[in-house]
Amino acid sequence: MIYPTYTPDEARDRETFLALMWALSYPGRIHDIGGAAHTHDTFSAIGAALLDLETSFFTPDKTLADELLRSGARHLPASEAAYHFYPALDGAALASITQANIGTMLRPDEGATLIIGCAFASGSTFSLAGPGIQTTQEIRLGGIPARFWGLRERAIRYPLGWDVYLIDHGHVIGLPRTTQVG
Amino acid sequence: MTLSELTNERQGYSFGYLDAYAKRELRRRALKAIAIPGYQVPYASRELPIARGWGTGGLQVTLALVGPDSIVKVIDQGADDSVNAANLRRFIKRMSGASTTTDTLRATILQSRHRIPEEIMQEGQVLVLQVPDPEPLRRVQPDISKAAQLHADADYGQMWLGLYEQLVRFKQYVQGADYPSLVHGRYIMNPSPIPRWDTPKLHQAAHLTLLSAGREKRMYAVPPYTNVQPLEFDDVPFQIEDQTGRVCKTTGAANKFMNELPQDDGSATFELSDSGYAEKLKNDLAPGATYFDEQGNFYHDGYLKPPVRPA
Repeated sequence: MIYPTYTPDEARDRETFLALMWALSYPGRIHDIGGAAHTHDTFSAIGAALLDLETSFFTPDKTLADELLRSGARHLPASEAAYHFYPALDGAALASITQANIGTMLRPDEGATLIIGCAFASGSTFSLAGPGIQTTQEIRLGGIPARFWGLRERAIRYPLGWDVYLIDHGHVIGLPRTTQVG
Repeated sequence: MTLSELTNERQGYSFGYLDAYAKRELRRRALKAIAIPGYQVPYASRELPIARGWGTGGLQVTLALVGPDSIVKVIDQGADDSVNAANLRRFIKRMSGASTTTDTLRATILQSRHRIPEEIMQEGQVLVLQVPDPEPLRRVQPDISKAAQLHADADYGQMWLGLYEQLVRFKQYVQGADYPSLVHGRYIMNPSPIPRWDTPKLHQAAHLTLLSAGREKRMYAVPPYTNVQPLEFDDVPFQIEDQTGRVCKTTGAANKFMNELPQDDGSATFELSDSGYAEKLKNDLAPGATYFDEQGNFYHDGYLKPPVRPA
């Protein structure tokens, strides 16, 4: 039997999506984004898997913005964009995150998705709990300023809030709005 | 570099039947559904070569997930061999090159109409449930816009009132399949028309459950290890269907969900509803652990309470 071709693009988008899906389903566990060796490649792969002309993004990184624009997605201000890409969290990035959309009570799914570069297995240890975690899950994260967690706590008034993917090279950790970080 | 290197070979169908835009949209929506357990995320719901109402919601989700490395099981009321399940399975295979199975524990994607298998699903498995009506509030609020506002306000008073009225009139909860359940303490969802027997299996499950209604264009999810609580009053607990005394005529299994087979003399015999599990028992293949053991005890101790009839 001849099956429709599983093209390299198709494979990359599907495997990236599956990594994001499992990362969000089991928060705190590290999942691999297939074939992406560097953080920038991972950002590109996520952009290719999720963005098209029906959605929008924000990133302070001009090179990445040029690349993501090729998907057809609109480059909008931080307050309006559905997907935020932050290769690193500096003061300007944190200022943008304060404006990220948290959705409405009628449409909490309009809350933004934040994709943030950081370093796993270094820095502070956090204990996670919530859906997707049987008891608790420990993670170590570097490159995330303490102020970020305060912003997250203020933004999330469940079901309102934004969801986060943390990226280190070709690896991803998901932090949906339901996850409590201690 | 030549033009042929830059383009894909022309083909009759996109991989997984759906085009790239449809799959991306489904995937974006699925991620938000997982992030907000039980919340109904709207999506576009494309046309498929089967009629709406025949599993198009579940099929679209499966097509967005499936790849050549997937192992797909499709069941309809527990049976792998019903016409609907067999055709969906064949279509998914033809559009993706995925392999298929009837073994619950081998499947990476399990699409189901109206049942959750008896064997305990594991981490890394996805259960895709076909949903005819995603709106649990339809019984008390037929206006979908007003129902959305009730969800937004977590205003479920009318649902509780309906439950109370059932107790007053019938001294028990009379909702059969599709029993409304509270997910992660926030949203009431319809768990699709699975029997009450299956509803507790969603609670703190190791697997991911995606529920999708193609006709109604709504998708929602129960992530792994998430609380799912069927609606009940503190003093009158939720009850599953009583399978006591029902023994499968071909395998001898007991305390599993049974199909009732009426006989000419007015009596009834029973057989396992889960055909994949029955197949293992018939062929002496060791089945996996089941949600309900041979004595009928649920695998989460204390989750199901003994029946109480109000005075």
